[in-house]
Amino acid sequence: MTGMERVPMGPPWSVDLIADLHAGVLPPEVAAQLRPRVEADPEANEILRALDATLEDLQALPPIPMPDHVAARIDAALAAEARPAAPVVSLDEARKRRNRRLGLGGAGVLVAAAAAFGIVLAVSPGGQQAKTPPAAQETPKTSSNTAAPPLALKRDELGSAVGDVLKAQNFGPLETPDRLAGCLKGGGITSSGNPLGISPITLDGKDAVMAILPAGLGQYRLVVLDPKTCGPDKPEGVLADTTIKPR
Amino acid sequence: MTAAASSDADLISAHAAGDPYAFSELVKRHRDRMWAVALRTLRDPEEAADALQEAFISAFRAASSFRAESQVTTWLHRIVVNACLDRVRRRQTRPTVPLPEAGPGEPVAPRDAMSDRETSLMVQQALMELPEEQRAPIVLVDVEGYSVAETAQLLGIAEGTVKSRCARGRAKLAKVLGHLRNRIADANVPADGVNVQEQRQWEGR
Repeated sequence: MTGMERVPMGPPWSVDLIADLHAGVLPPEVAAQLRPRVEADPEANEILRALDATLEDLQALPPIPMPDHVAARIDAALAAEARPAAPVVSLDEARKRRNRRLGLGGAGVLVAAAAAFGIVLAVSPGGQQAKTPPAAQETPKTSSNTAAPPLALKRDELGSAVGDVLKAQNFGPLETPDRLAGCLKGGGITSSGNPLGISPITLDGKDAVMAILPAGLGQYRLVVLDPKTCGPDKPEGVLADTTIKPR
Repeated sequence: MTAAASSDADLISAHAAGDPYAFSELVKRHRDRMWAVALRTLRDPEEAADALQEAFISAFRAASSFRAESQVTTWLHRIVVNACLDRVRRRQTRPTVPLPEAGPGEPVAPRDAMSDRETSLMVQQALMELPEEQRAPIVLVDVEGYSVAETAQLLGIAEGTVKSRCARGRAKLAKVLGHLRNRIADANVPADGVNVQEQRQWEGR
């Protein structure tokens, strides 16, 4: 087979053939013979120029940065993926804690059964027992009473809690994402979707809730809210607001 | 470990070693380009976001088994492109949604001249009219600047096929964008199917 046998006759040549020549689709020997003939033909030349102009248009399309809300959503999904599964709580320990708190003897059977099925009970009528540790619950709206005291933090050591809070989605006394959004709004903080992590804490001995929000490249925004006073029009409910870059 | 100076390969290693921030850092480095590919391939911002999230989670889980046989970026981009193409295939019977003129699909980078902006919109719109099999290689090669070889690897097709699909797509775009005078285009653009046999001989090279 020689290249000559496969060189398409013309002019005229089809736009597709010239586009093939332009894109380097044709075998080199065919292209080498066709190109001078195409370039010598005004109409074919016009097609080549049109293809060049088309390429320039495509190359000039501006970049499309990922919108912040999509970036935040993906950050949150990856943070959730990085979060280890909820730790297994010792049933004996959970049972003892519940019994101690509730002063239960006979009802202990119920509690033990619930614990055995992994059920998080909301048994406190007044909903006063919201100080669940970060890892002990997964459902935002649950007012759980299972647990050890919340993380006790001082104002200058908020960063030390990031690892624990990132593992939690415990809205504690704030109860719902809407309430959280309202409290953040009060502090002039806008955030879409769930926080990367949220957990009740104590700040300098005072009950609070710490939320971790995405804050751009490799950074976290730590916001500490006073659940008793925070709200959409209450900036004083934001006890701390700081951005950190882990490690 | 997640310092900006770390290479992509360092970040993958750190991720495999349990660094909870390493993978996010890797994604942050490449997400704009991947977003553009996803958006231009899928056309619908919501679907592009879904595809990217799915792809990144999938990559996150598979990253510990990543072997340095290919570049980290090629590996990650391939997962993203495949997630987009899977969605394209799944929705083939559904109508497509054009990119909005404003909002998440719209470039944020300021362009001085209104005419530039109008041209961009026109080109973007023309791109949307291409068949999926031509749009994906055109987006990767002509818009995003991947090489033919990289694109062939990303799409899992031969380099010759990438070139010929780009050629077909560019010919259509040249007509839609008005670069080809109608007289020439009408006279010379053959009906679909013409030259197919000849084309197949050249593909795969």
